[in-house]
Amino acid sequence: MATVAGALKQTRLGISGRVGGWIFYGVPLVAFLVLILPRLFLNPGFFLQILVFGVTDGAVLALIALGYTMVYGIIELINFAHGDIFTLGGFIGVLIFSLIGIVPGKDLNLGFLTLFVVIGVMAVTMAINGGINVLIERVAYRPLRHQPRLAPLITAVGMSFILEGLMFIWKGPNFIQSPDLLPGGHFTVLAANVDYRSIVLIAAALVLVVLLTLFIERTKLGKAMRATAQDRDAAQLMGIDINRTISATFFIGAALAAAGGILYGFYLHNFRFDTGFITGLFAFTAAVLGGIGNIRGAALGALLIGLIRAFNDGYGRSEWSDVLIFAILVYVLVFRPTGLLGMQVPEK
Amino acid sequence: MTRLKGLRPVAVVFAASLAAAACGGSSGGSSSTADKGEIHIGVEMPLSGTESTQGQPILKGVQYAAQRAGKVKGFTIKVIPFDDAVNGVHDPQKGAQNVQAMVGDTKLLGFVGPLNSNVAKTEIPIAADANLTMISPANTGVCLTKDNADSRFPYDAGCGGLAKQLRKSNPNNYFRVVTTDDYQGPAMADYFLQVLKIQKVGVASDNQTYGKGIADAFTAEFKAKGGQVVGPRNDYDQNTTDFKPFLTAAKNAGAQGIYVGGTTGTKVCQVRAQMNGIFDATTPFGGGDGIVQDGECVGQAGAMAPNVFASIAAVDPVHVPSAKSVIDGYKKAYPDPADYTAYSIVATDAGGILINAISKAIDDNGGNMPKRDGVRKAAASTKNYQGALGSTSFDANGDTSVKIISIYKYDSADPKKANDEPWVGQENFGEDKPTVKTS
Amino acid sequence: MSVAVAARRRFSKVDWRDPNTLTYVGLGFLALIYPTLVYLINPDQGPALVSQAADAGVFVVMALGLNVVVGFAGLLDLGYAAFFAIGAYTYGMLASGQLALSPIGHEVHLPFWVLLFVAVLVAATCGAILGAPTLRLRGDYLAIVTLGFGEIVPRVFRNLSQFTGGVNAISAIDAPVLPYWIDGPWDGGASFAVVQNLKFTAGEPTAYYVLMVLIIVAVVVVIRNAQRSRIGRAWMAVREDEVAAEAMGVNTVNIKLLAFAIGASVSGFAGCYFGAKLSTVSPENFTFLVSVTILLMVTLGGMGNIPGAIVGALVIYFVQYKLLSDLPHWVAAGAGALNLSQHATNVATDYATRLNFVIFGLILAVTMLLRPQGLLPSRVRAQELQRGTTDESVFDAAAT
Repeated sequence: MATVAGALKQTRLGISGRVGGWIFYGVPLVAFLVLILPRLFLNPGFFLQILVFGVTDGAVLALIALGYTMVYGIIELINFAHGDIFTLGGFIGVLIFSLIGIVPGKDLNLGFLTLFVVIGVMAVTMAINGGINVLIERVAYRPLRHQPRLAPLITAVGMSFILEGLMFIWKGPNFIQSPDLLPGGHFTVLAANVDYRSIVLIAAALVLVVLLTLFIERTKLGKAMRATAQDRDAAQLMGIDINRTISATFFIGAALAAAGGILYGFYLHNFRFDTGFITGLFAFTAAVLGGIGNIRGAALGALLIGLIRAFNDGYGRSEWSDVLIFAILVYVLVFRPTGLLGMQVPEK
Repeated sequence: MTRLKGLRPVAVVFAASLAAAACGGSSGGSSSTADKGEIHIGVEMPLSGTESTQGQPILKGVQYAAQRAGKVKGFTIKVIPFDDAVNGVHDPQKGAQNVQAMVGDTKLLGFVGPLNSNVAKTEIPIAADANLTMISPANTGVCLTKDNADSRFPYDAGCGGLAKQLRKSNPNNYFRVVTTDDYQGPAMADYFLQVLKIQKVGVASDNQTYGKGIADAFTAEFKAKGGQVVGPRNDYDQNTTDFKPFLTAAKNAGAQGIYVGGTTGTKVCQVRAQMNGIFDATTPFGGGDGIVQDGECVGQAGAMAPNVFASIAAVDPVHVPSAKSVIDGYKKAYPDPADYTAYSIVATDAGGILINAISKAIDDNGGNMPKRDGVRKAAASTKNYQGALGSTSFDANGDTSVKIISIYKYDSADPKKANDEPWVGQENFGEDKPTVKTS
Repeated sequence: MSVAVAARRRFSKVDWRDPNTLTYVGLGFLALIYPTLVYLINPDQGPALVSQAADAGVFVVMALGLNVVVGFAGLLDLGYAAFFAIGAYTYGMLASGQLALSPIGHEVHLPFWVLLFVAVLVAATCGAILGAPTLRLRGDYLAIVTLGFGEIVPRVFRNLSQFTGGVNAISAIDAPVLPYWIDGPWDGGASFAVVQNLKFTAGEPTAYYVLMVLIIVAVVVVIRNAQRSRIGRAWMAVREDEVAAEAMGVNTVNIKLLAFAIGASVSGFAGCYFGAKLSTVSPENFTFLVSVTILLMVTLGGMGNIPGAIVGALVIYFVQYKLLSDLPHWVAAGAGALNLSQHATNVATDYATRLNFVIFGLILAVTMLLRPQGLLPSRVRAQELQRGTTDESVFDAAAT
């Protein structure tokens, strides 16, 4: 055991020092140069196409990961129910669209009006979904705020099961289809087709990242959130209403998830009651990869996961994609224990 | 055990609480007057969670078969459902427990199930020990009954004598009314090559037992008959949402068609939907019975639904005189379109064969409640059962004699028309030199 | 001083008002009479119920192991099923015809009793390999690494189909065989009825049950001794305040690694037994949901408390594998009693099946809200919670 400990102390120094930095950047760089770069020259069009797919997938994942990382940043709860809140947002969106007569397969051709319809429906869905999430927080997490960390984790799993169960009863075990109101058509760069749909999604993710960052850094509520995240007691002493701040966080997280859900539906068309659970797992992975609690980190993590998967599916054997994603996660965390953009937190 | 009888009064105290928890398959206590009693048949399927899309129609198919049979020689047939899904996913351990519970139900003489080949592998040893007849309407894994794939195919199933190891020294108790992966994959491969004249395909699967099995069999046959499988083979995980990288790679490699092994529930038809923009809408897309005549599949594929080809290990009902009344009757009993899938009709036959065997065993036992072994023997000797699948007999392995694969094509993007999509061809592997027939 | 005197002295020290003691005694008593009881009440379903209890034991063992990692050392592990998979596949590959189909080309049939310990070693080694570079991670970052590991391992087993059978699973795995020199009344003659036929067969699962009880007792004894030794106190110190523990001279890395390795080896133990009992090992048995389920068992039972973990595992297993799956049968029986038509009965049972998820979720959430410390919390924890002096939760103390 003593030797093991000694070896570990060595590795500990080794991987966090300068040598660690070289390894950390060196291995991916070599992998990139050897495995990926040659393909760019072999078939640039295809390479670019895969890149576009990967970035779009990353944007879709980022839409969920942002909400995940926000909630986690404030109350340090791995909110397993967040993925299901995301699905619920999509379900509610589909319901509202169908109420106003927009169903998949029906060509309405609203023209410029589409934008307003989408924004209107999205706003309503975000409000409803946010309300539900605030309610869940009030019922399931708030009473456990002063209990051991794992207690709210278990209620989160419970809530996830309840939400999935309710959606199962509501829509059954089949996929439901979402209408698609994204603009059609594409332009071509180097034989790679770039859909306008992809552009919309990527733009949406970017806008959200910027807005959220501004919101957290500039507004009063954002400041309250950061204070709450850092030290709940001190924040309370400074006159911040903790309950309201946390509720607001859950509201925003769920609203983001709803927007993400609707866009996901537009882009991928198909939903099922359990879509969010596993997608949420990857969103959480993205959030951790980037540095949890960090908005830009979540987006970066999501982008990375999207790219890894797209490239492995396009060039390699897709059954190893998940293994690769998680292996890279472990790799990153071994060298950067708080994620790519996470802050170094001093040991208490 | 007799020695401990004195303890019984003490045990009674616990009985109220435990007995309720204990007896899974207890009878409802409703005993009718003149009849000879109840005979139970089990249905062992994932009835909750995502796979219930297949499990529920199968349960209903068996319930319909029992309803059609009515009273069998004075016995009332009661269908008892067993759910092998835990947390919404099929669980081999739960499957084994279900079979053990069935073994403990003395009135239960056989069951229809399971859905997944891996669950079957835990169930066959237990059921074989108890002589309990199993008839599966869905297992297509080659190794459950045979030691290898049909020798006419280049496909190596790699069984290693599993069928025998599962049954140990017991006589065969496992039968199935569907043919195996080694026929279904090749049939579509032949159809692609001979009828659609396609030389290059991209192949994917949902990376589960059934999907990977038929995709592998398809690949082997397609290559052996001179076709080319191009692009990266894609065995996707269930959390994959974007298939476009694979499709683009296949397109780049010159694929003229795509074949995907899997079911509607494992996103096969979403792969088809995402071909939009990469392939022409006329590009053929092939799959197995997991997507055949399925409105859900059409819904997922959306506008790309036309030109999807799907095979099923059954004769087209139009070509089978006995089928129409069964199908019409089923649709009347279960009008919800979600309840009518390719599986429900197969299950009706599986249930019908089981009930038939029970009926035969009653006769053999002088009109009394038959023994399980009697039912097993009667099931093994099933000859020319006239059902919706045609005329079914079991061979020595327990496999169905009907080795006809029918191929259907989706013409319309309307999910409601999925059940009436046209039959476009079939291949009969019962013949010596099977070829695809399109009329 | 004779052994008897020592035993008596030890016995007189037992605190009979302690809920833990009561639980141990109750569970032990229940384990003893359970097979007889179910055979008496319902002879037909006896084998099925005893077998199911043995299956539940697998989860009890895993909950005990995870309790060491999460409860004692305070390391959140979301990928515990990985070690379960490693144990099960170790047994599956080395005690079946599987390897004959692999490039190795030879069947390997090692005895169960040997592989039980091989599986433990393999799992512990994997635990140490995973733990070594990652244990310096704090709190949830460690959780996500273990989650990643838990996702990687089953996929590797699934994808290396040349060796592991892949999606087709390994089946027809050998059943354990008692060594030839152990024979007794069960091996033919029926002189005492209770243990007749103590052979490892599917139809007569008493032997599996007995083995499971023995395994649980052994694991409890080992873990309990570890907890009460210096190691256990070091775990507690690391859990409560890692920096302070290190300052006091606790080798935190080693002590965490030890917790990880013990947890992994217990899981490997369970996996080996699982493979032997079910005779099939397939990748879908080791999903993320299994890891979460075991975590639920530990937390619901009361973290850091051995009887708590056992009770939690039994409760959750009962709910998932018995209550929820029998619910439709009860509904059907109820419908039969009300003389509903066949069609109405079918509809009612259908809805009972669909309610599965909601009921399970409600049970979890409500139990946690009513008893956040778990059903049977450890005494130390309970006191800390009651005092409630700190806002910082107990588990969180070590995390940033």
